[in-house]
Amino acid sequence: MTEAADSATRAGAAPELDPALPLDPDMAQAAIEHCYEQGWSDGLPLVPATQPLVDRFLATTSRDPDEIIGSLEQVGRDCTVYLAAVNAAMAGCKPEYFPVVLAAFDALMRERAARGGGFQSTSGPAPLIVVNGPVRKELGFNTAGGAFGPGFRPNMTIPRAIGLIVRNAFGIVPHVLEQATQGVPGRWSICIAENEEESPWGPLAEDAGAPGGVSAVSVTLTRTMEFVDNRHTPNHEDVLRDLADSIGRLGPQIFPQTPVALVLSPEHAQMFANAGMSKAGVQNWLIEHSGRTAGDLRRAGKGEVLKWAGALGGPTRDAESVPDDEFHRVLSNPAQIPIVVAGAKNAAISMVVRIFGEWSGVATPVAEKK
Amino acid sequence: MPNAILDPTGATRLQKKAAAPRAPRRASLAGARVGLLINTKQNARPFLEEVGRILKDEHGVASVTERTKLNFAVPESDEVIKELAATSDVVITGVGDCGSCSAAAAADGVVLESVGVPVAVIVTESFTATASAMAELRGSPGYKYATTAHPVAVLTGEQVKARAATVIDDVIKLVTESAE
Repeated sequence: MTEAADSATRAGAAPELDPALPLDPDMAQAAIEHCYEQGWSDGLPLVPATQPLVDRFLATTSRDPDEIIGSLEQVGRDCTVYLAAVNAAMAGCKPEYFPVVLAAFDALMRERAARGGGFQSTSGPAPLIVVNGPVRKELGFNTAGGAFGPGFRPNMTIPRAIGLIVRNAFGIVPHVLEQATQGVPGRWSICIAENEEESPWGPLAEDAGAPGGVSAVSVTLTRTMEFVDNRHTPNHEDVLRDLADSIGRLGPQIFPQTPVALVLSPEHAQMFANAGMSKAGVQNWLIEHSGRTAGDLRRAGKGEVLKWAGALGGPTRDAESVPDDEFHRVLSNPAQIPIVVAGAKNAAISMVVRIFGEWSGVATPVAEKK
Repeated sequence: MPNAILDPTGATRLQKKAAAPRAPRRASLAGARVGLLINTKQNARPFLEEVGRILKDEHGVASVTERTKLNFAVPESDEVIKELAATSDVVITGVGDCGSCSAAAAADGVVLESVGVPVAVIVTESFTATASAMAELRGSPGYKYATTAHPVAVLTGEQVKARAATVIDDVIKLVTESAE
């Protein structure tokens, strides 16, 4: 026996496994290959799920394994608690992550865009999962530097579980029912735990209706994200102008409104708070200033966007009658610009995350087993 | 015995979808009431309207009515399907030029066929895989539909008309006995 095998830990083994037996990596490799051959994988190795392992997931929730927790009517497929557990186990989650997986999936399926064909879309959107509350520390989420990963098991495996559910339980497979043109980098791997400790404001989950101090998950679909690096100025309004410039960019504009989630670094958030701004203050400033002129839109061939007088589906007008210098705002209310504080307090870098469709604005509490 | 590796797809729970019947075809389009189910994608309306115009002017169609999909990304509700079936002898729908809307167009086609209405679904060539997969899911493997080159959304008004003219033969073949 090699030294490596001698020193291998048995921490991850099923409790019923005889501790006297050595680990069998060759058999593990064969089991992983088996999962690939069945077409279950997203491209990375899966943990082969067995009934004893899945039972440990199911033991973390009061919900019935047969309960249907999501349906995609257009493809006639459902996901049950049991199937979610199998996929979460395969994604590499620990059993104790399962209540967060369930909360994230509930939150995702609340989104109109997710139920209405988003997983099939050429946009290839990804869930943006935001975790708040004590569960962040209890389960070992990364709440500090490198918020968008990788390096931390819950942050990486929980969104992967959601992706595997969509692939396996809903049957939305790339090149068949999934038709992403390019997709989003990091699709199925975007899960941030808010840096509540260094945020000057309350957590996102409270903005989204969760009671204070409760662990909760908020999810929306995103088309991509872009950084705003501004460590150049002591003036908070300069930073707001920089953010507004990225938010108002022409590329994402296809509808009258272009919602974003703002993931602020602690340094930017504290700068705004020190200037006396609340979250609402930041949101309202950005609503007022984010956009482009009608002339800018026309020069990009997007004059058609001007035909809506207000929200999508609302009244329309003659797009050509809008004067070139009219400022076209891309946001109209604070619900379209949720703010999260995440990352390390080591540089003034924030992220503008493009929301696909609209966020429901509702957080889902992480259920404790009754 | 080692533990079995569990299946994450729920395949054992899935009931095989009953085969969806295909509507009887018409001998010709003469005197037919044609319903256009417009999916609201860019240029879908002028494209289908031109198809309707040609069928009326050159192929003896009695009337052309229009209906707009409420949400291009998902299949139509039962009520809309019933209403379309009651008021149309033939339905033409499209233009499927995205992931969800091409699949939804195929689903609408299969459902309308099963209540007796021959349908010509039109999707762009980029979305045949997803249209065919959806038709199979809905119980109609090998479902036939018309295709046109991708993209349609950026065509000018004149180009849309010219493009619509190129699918007429396929549309007629799809909804009449000549397809058998």
